[in-house]
Amino acid sequence: MPVIQIENLSKHFRVLNRREGLVGSLRDLFSTDYRTVKAVDDISLNIEPGEIVGYIGPNGAGKSTTIKMMTGVLQPSSGTLLVNGNVPFKNRKKNAQNIGVVFGQRTQLWWDLPVIESFKILKEIYRVDAETFKAQMATFNKLVDLEALYHKSVRSLSLGQRMLCDITAAFVHNPRVVFLDEPTIGLDIAVKARIRTLIRELNNQHQTTIVLTTHDISDIEALCQRVVILDKGRLIFDDAIQKVNYLFGAFRTLRLQIFPFAPETLSAFANKLDSAFNCPDAFTVSSDESGWIEVTIDQAKVPLRDVLNLAMGDFPVSDVQIAEISMGSVIQKVYEGVKV
Amino acid sequence: MDTLRYYARIYLLIEAQYIKARLQYRADFIISSIGMACSYAVGIITFWVLFTTIPNLAGWSLNELLFMYAFYLLSVTPLQVFFDNIWSLRIKVRDGSFIRYYFRPLNMMFYYVSEVFDIKGLVQFVLGVIVLVYASVQLHLQWTLPQTGLFVVMLLSASLVMISIMVIAASASFWIIDSFPVLALAFKLREFAPYPVTIFDGFFRVVFTYIVPLGFVAFYPAQLFLRPGEASPVVWASPLVGIALFALAYQVWSRGVNHYSGTGS
Amino acid sequence: MRRYLGYFHIVKASFMASIVYPVGTFFTLIGNLVYITVVFFLWHSIYSGADTLHGMTFNQTFIYLTLAGSVLILFKTYTDWALSSRIIDGSIVSDLIKPLDFQVQTFAQSLGFALGNGVLITLPSLLLMVVLFHGSFPLGINLLFFPVSLGLAYMLSFCLDYAVGLTAFYTQSLWGISITKEVIVSLLSGALIPLAFFPEGLQRVLQLLPFRAIYSIPLLIATSSQLQIADYFQLLLVQIAWTIVFLVLTRLFFNRAIRVLVVNGG
Repeated sequence: MPVIQIENLSKHFRVLNRREGLVGSLRDLFSTDYRTVKAVDDISLNIEPGEIVGYIGPNGAGKSTTIKMMTGVLQPSSGTLLVNGNVPFKNRKKNAQNIGVVFGQRTQLWWDLPVIESFKILKEIYRVDAETFKAQMATFNKLVDLEALYHKSVRSLSLGQRMLCDITAAFVHNPRVVFLDEPTIGLDIAVKARIRTLIRELNNQHQTTIVLTTHDISDIEALCQRVVILDKGRLIFDDAIQKVNYLFGAFRTLRLQIFPFAPETLSAFANKLDSAFNCPDAFTVSSDESGWIEVTIDQAKVPLRDVLNLAMGDFPVSDVQIAEISMGSVIQKVYEGVKV
Repeated sequence: MDTLRYYARIYLLIEAQYIKARLQYRADFIISSIGMACSYAVGIITFWVLFTTIPNLAGWSLNELLFMYAFYLLSVTPLQVFFDNIWSLRIKVRDGSFIRYYFRPLNMMFYYVSEVFDIKGLVQFVLGVIVLVYASVQLHLQWTLPQTGLFVVMLLSASLVMISIMVIAASASFWIIDSFPVLALAFKLREFAPYPVTIFDGFFRVVFTYIVPLGFVAFYPAQLFLRPGEASPVVWASPLVGIALFALAYQVWSRGVNHYSGTGS
Repeated sequence: MRRYLGYFHIVKASFMASIVYPVGTFFTLIGNLVYITVVFFLWHSIYSGADTLHGMTFNQTFIYLTLAGSVLILFKTYTDWALSSRIIDGSIVSDLIKPLDFQVQTFAQSLGFALGNGVLITLPSLLLMVVLFHGSFPLGINLLFFPVSLGLAYMLSFCLDYAVGLTAFYTQSLWGISITKEVIVSLLSGALIPLAFFPEGLQRVLQLLPFRAIYSIPLLIATSSQLQIADYFQLLLVQIAWTIVFLVLTRLFFNRAIRVLVVNGG
């Protein structure tokens, strides 16, 4: 039974076409000139318990709109959305009982109060029984030494400490789903690592489903088994993380040092590839002056292994370098609007 | 009933901690309390300067007016003490931080309002009690148990009126950008509450009784204790007015919350 | 000359900003009209029957108070709040870097805002009053002196706001200080009640304080038909004297306060 079920979900906003100037502002007050913006356009997906899903997309793609619908802030325009079997907008409080939310930019704890008091208040709000509470707090102490921060006010914490508190606080009532929005933003590398470990441990403990929204690709690489990519309100990718690199084809770059390097080596190499594989658009061949030939291979068409074998067999190869296209650059291509 | 206990426990827990934390800012508390005391002291002085000039105002003596003023101070206190966070609403709505109030299994207005407890508002309370005692003594009022009970009920009804007006004004933030003047206007209106509604004729009397019921913040309820025999029946409607107005305010707030969601900032 | 252009642009920008959100200003205008209404009925009741109180007729008192209300709005530029928030969040540094005098800069900003208020609130309110009371307004030589007096009063009011704003260098508790200043000024300057209504002893004390230069004097010039030329000059002189005193004091205060910024390193 999926913990989050989304079917043909859409959210449209009516936006006023604003006019310029003072007179324009006055006329706007009485205007009925609206256009419809499709922030979320017919998306469908299911998330099973225990998954850690990376939920990403360029700014304005519709991620925060979907999250807002899942947390009961916005009402969908059409389609079905169920979280833990609830319709979030209709049963906001009931939904809130079973979810945790962390917004990277702002804390949800009580600003002036000591950390431990915030947790005690949450215990009351979520009606967590004493035993569970004690166990949870013990876990948090073990994982991130939360005890050291108990008596400091949230106001006095560093950003990293505050994030640790906010994240553990989101788990204190053992929700089935936790939404993390930019949990590592603005943090240094050491703290980021601690937070990723924390998230992984907490997910592991009770099989808590986690929906992670972030612009940090290494967060995704470290935590997510599955990645969902949104763009302009539409779902353009929903699959295992390994498959992201294959979005634009499975490209690898093979660099071969040929010694001795003759002026004809490059064209000879290119011709050899052509005659051997007869697949010109699988290759991009180039060379620089220092004796290296660089060939970018679309692995979906021709395995790198075969090219390497061919090269080693027919050419005096003295050194080899293999580079993978990074997930970051794939995602960048997506954000830049390169068609999938 | 269980829900009531739930909210009461949470509220006490939050405010106890909040007050403890705020009291550490000693200087701020002292300065703000002085400011508060000054502003009401000036109000009382204004009252006194005006009414030592004239024998009575629309038939009400100085001491009766002081009683009304005291009633007003007391009925405006709950707004000050419990609902002080509404002044920040326009900022939180504008910068998007308002969204955090959706995420807890709590009533949103409760959650929002519980964030701030204005301790210095108690200065107002103390001032009100002092003036009340003074006026009662001067007027030789009898405070029997039923009288006191009635007084508390009327006070609570009156406080609901002012709270409702402010909540409605604050909710404007959900629709318009520069909503501070709306709040400031609503707050300014309260300054006219301690004066007898009878100074107004026809049209405005109707406005201040039925449309923006400022009359119920002090004047009408106070009549029950000053001149019980002469009190018009409308006075007994005070609790209804308070509750009905609050229900309206809550509706406006809820609409606003939904509208905010709609524009999804 | 260039420098003055800089100040002019600040005034203009501030003026435009205050006009851009008409809804807010609309409510402030309504607030003023409500105030005028309540003042009318309240004082009508106070006078009920009596011809004059403390030497002023109902008409005189009413005009005095509604004028006070409309002028009060002009002076309400929230300079203290704007200044204090810039000090607290540190953005004041970018103002200090500019090749413009800080106090004059701040003044220019508040002036733009005041002009915006003037156009959108004071003018309509005054127009309404003139329509209702065309007979009772003394229209004569006082119209020459009134704007001058108003200008001086504004500068004085600005200095007070400015000083309150500067306290943000020392404390975050602006609210308490601001409201104390506001109520004291309102009461002792004759904005809430004409000074004539105060007991004799208090009136004598108030004559010595600067507050009457903010409201009582310009209002007197606008509403009194019994002043001689000599009187006008004397009143203006009082205002000028207090304005100079406060300009000096605020400049000294600023020099003192700014050291806190240097010490704390922003």
